[in-house]
Amino acid sequence: MGFEIGFAIATIPTILSVVGTTLIITALSCAGAAGLGFAFEMIRRSGWTADYVMRFVIDFIRATPVLGWLYFMYFVLPFYGVRLPTTAVGILGLSVYYSGYLAEVFRAGIDAVAKGQQEAARALGLGRVDAVVFVIAPQMLRNIAAPMGNYFVSILKATPYLAAIAVPEMLGSAFDIASDTYRYAEPLTVAGVMFLLLALAVTGGVKQLERKLLKADRR
Amino acid sequence: MQEHSLAPAIDIAALNKWYGTFHVLKNVDLVVGTGSRIVICGPSGSGKSSLIRCVNGLEKYESGTIRLADTPLEMDAAKSSAARRQTGMVFQSFNLFPHLTVLANCTLSLRRVQKKSRGAASEIAMHFLEKVKIPEQANKYPAELSGGQQQRVAIARALCLNPRIMLFDEPTSALDPEMVKEVLDVMTSLARDGMTMVCVTHEMHFAREVADRIVFMDQGSIVEQSDPASFFAAPTHARTRAFLSNLLH
Repeated sequence: MGFEIGFAIATIPTILSVVGTTLIITALSCAGAAGLGFAFEMIRRSGWTADYVMRFVIDFIRATPVLGWLYFMYFVLPFYGVRLPTTAVGILGLSVYYSGYLAEVFRAGIDAVAKGQQEAARALGLGRVDAVVFVIAPQMLRNIAAPMGNYFVSILKATPYLAAIAVPEMLGSAFDIASDTYRYAEPLTVAGVMFLLLALAVTGGVKQLERKLLKADRR
Repeated sequence: MQEHSLAPAIDIAALNKWYGTFHVLKNVDLVVGTGSRIVICGPSGSGKSSLIRCVNGLEKYESGTIRLADTPLEMDAAKSSAARRQTGMVFQSFNLFPHLTVLANCTLSLRRVQKKSRGAASEIAMHFLEKVKIPEQANKYPAELSGGQQQRVAIARALCLNPRIMLFDEPTSALDPEMVKEVLDVMTSLARDGMTMVCVTHEMHFAREVADRIVFMDQGSIVEQSDPASFFAAPTHARTRAFLSNLLH
C-alpha cells in the first residue's frame, strides 16, 4: 500500500477546514504570550521583591511541560469552578507556557537598549509608562524581532498539543482521518506540508516586521 | 550682570553623594545666578558629571540640598518633577531616540508631557531646530545625521521644553574635532540669549570666551572657582595649575 496522491488530495478539505482554528489559536496565543510575558518583565523590573518573585514565576513556567499546563487547566480548573471552552483553555495554556520564554526575550531586548535612552526620557520629563511605550518598547522590539518571531513559529508548531484536550486543529484532524481509514502517510503528510506553509508565512511576516522596524536604523 | 533679588537659579549646599563606598561628591557648595554661564572642568572622576546629573535629578544624593530657583529638589528626584522640569540636559552621547525622526524626538515630550497638539508641538520644535540651524533635517532619523548635527538636535530637543537652566555634560567630547565648533557656536548663541548654563567641558577656548565663572573640581570637591581671566592667568591652587598645564600643552 503505497502513497496515494489521490487520497492525499481528498484529505485536504477536511484538514483545511481547521486551518482557521489553528491560525486563530496561534494568533491569540502569540498575543497572549507576548502580553503576559511583557507584563511579567515589567513587574520584574519594578523592585527587588518583584524581581525575586517574578524570576521564580518565570522559571517555574519554563520548567514545566506545555502538556502539563494544558492538562492542569483542562482537568483541574473545573474542580475549582472555572469552566472554559476547550479552545480557550488551549489558548490560555499556550499563552502561559510561552510567556515565560518571551519574558526572557523581552528582558534581553530591554537590556540591550542603551542606558542613555532611559536617562534622556527622564531628562525630558516623560513618565514611566510614556518612557516604556514611546522610547524603550519600540527599540526593544527592534532588538528582539528575530527571536520573538522564532517563538511565534514555535507557538504555531505547538498547536498539535491541543489535540490532547480535544481542540480541533490540523494534526488532530489528520489523525482522525488516519484512525478512520488506517492510512497514515497521506493525512499526516498533508498536515505536515500545511504546517510548513504556515510556518513559512509566519516567518515571512516576522521578516517584514523586522525590516520595517529596522528602517529607522539604516545609515 | 545685574543683581537679582530673586533666588539664584541653582543653589547647591553641602551636597554629598556616594557610589557605594566611593565618596564622589564631598560637601559641594555652588551657587549659579540666573543668566550666568558656568563651566565646570576637572580630571576624570572628579565628580563634575555626577554634580550636574544630581541637579537634573538623574542621580540621587545622600545629603545636602539642591534648590532650583525656590523649589527644592528631593533626594529621590522621581518625586520632584516640578523642580527638574526647570532644567534641560544635553548628554555626551546625544541620547537621541534612534527610532524617531528628528522632529518626533523634539515633539515627544511636548505632546506627552505638556499635552500640546501635534501642530503646536511641531511649530515649537521647528522654531528650535531653526535656532540650531538644522530645520531641513527635521524628517530624517538620527543615524542619518553627523555627530555635530545630532548634538544640535539634542540641544533643540531640550530647549523645546522651555527650561530655565541648560545643563551640558561634555557635549563635544564624543565629536570629531571638526564638528566641535558647530555645537559650541550653538551654545555660544544660547549664552548670548541670556540662558542660565552649566557646562561640563574641557573646551577651554569656549570657557574663556563664554563662561563668566569657571569651576575646577578634583576628587569630589570644588578646588577653586573664578572668572576666566583670573582662572587662566593666576590659578591659585597647585592642582589647578597642574591640570591647566596638562590641558593647554
